[in-house]
Amino acid sequence: MVKVVKSTILNAPIDAVWEVLRDFNGHDSWHPAVADSEIERGRTSDVVGCIRKFHLKDGSLLREQLMTLSDIDAAYSYCLLDTPVPLFNYVSHVRLFPVTDGDRTFWQWEGNFSTPAGEESNLKNMVGNDIYQAGFEAIRGHMGVAA
Amino acid sequence: MARVYVSSVVAAPASKVWERVRDFNGLPRWHPRIADSQIENGEPSDKVGCIRNFRLQNGDQIREQLLALSDYDTFCTYAILESPMPIENYVATLRLTPVSDGDRCFVEWSAEFDCAPEVEADVSNGIATNVFQGGFDALKRHFGG
Repeated sequence: MVKVVKSTILNAPIDAVWEVLRDFNGHDSWHPAVADSEIERGRTSDVVGCIRKFHLKDGSLLREQLMTLSDIDAAYSYCLLDTPVPLFNYVSHVRLFPVTDGDRTFWQWEGNFSTPAGEESNLKNMVGNDIYQAGFEAIRGHMGVAA
Repeated sequence: MARVYVSSVVAAPASKVWERVRDFNGLPRWHPRIADSQIENGEPSDKVGCIRNFRLQNGDQIREQLLALSDYDTFCTYAILESPMPIENYVATLRLTPVSDGDRCFVEWSAEFDCAPEVEADVSNGIATNVFQGGFDALKRHFGG
């Protein structure tokens, strides 16, 4: 099992960050790797159990299912159902915490998965840097907040 | 049940900040409001269950018991046994969490306790400002931000 944890501080109040992140179908508007996204079966993106089907910019198709959505904890969890990449049993947790000192936000993004032997460090870097860290930078740009 | 929550960011890795705050008897070395402290019965300060007996700069005396200490999750939880404050069932946790983006860490200090409704706002503000944020400000000064 590979575990990846990335975290950052955003210079924005937690409510503003959560408003952007809680939309499980909104990542195509801010994440640079995501080309388009839709929720299957016409559900809304805040229905726990809904599935987002999306293309990356390289054309690959992924499906992910929302497993937890918590407005009280500003957190959600999802798992990967279909992907061309050998990420197995992939479960990810996103959680925001308020930084009361300065009205900022601590954002933690964690992933756990298994993968064939020899792929661990490649995929750990891909998930940690290309998805999580790149997502942090993209949200800063999307929300117009300084690093 | 009243709840107080204060969080901040310190410009040092969690391991470095933990070195400074881990010692349950070490408050006088890093928190400006604490004058002196000792662990009762000569016990080590990382023995879960030990009691610290300390005085504030204003002379108030407080006894607190260590309920949990984790070097893995970098937190400690403690309860107040005796204090001049009009509170009961006070349990607090100080927790450090690494921030992977930059050499800094996220610090949280929270408490839950019971007190009379008419003093709750004053007591909560005092704890949040003087104890928790005051401690974080001292850490930020020490670690340069």
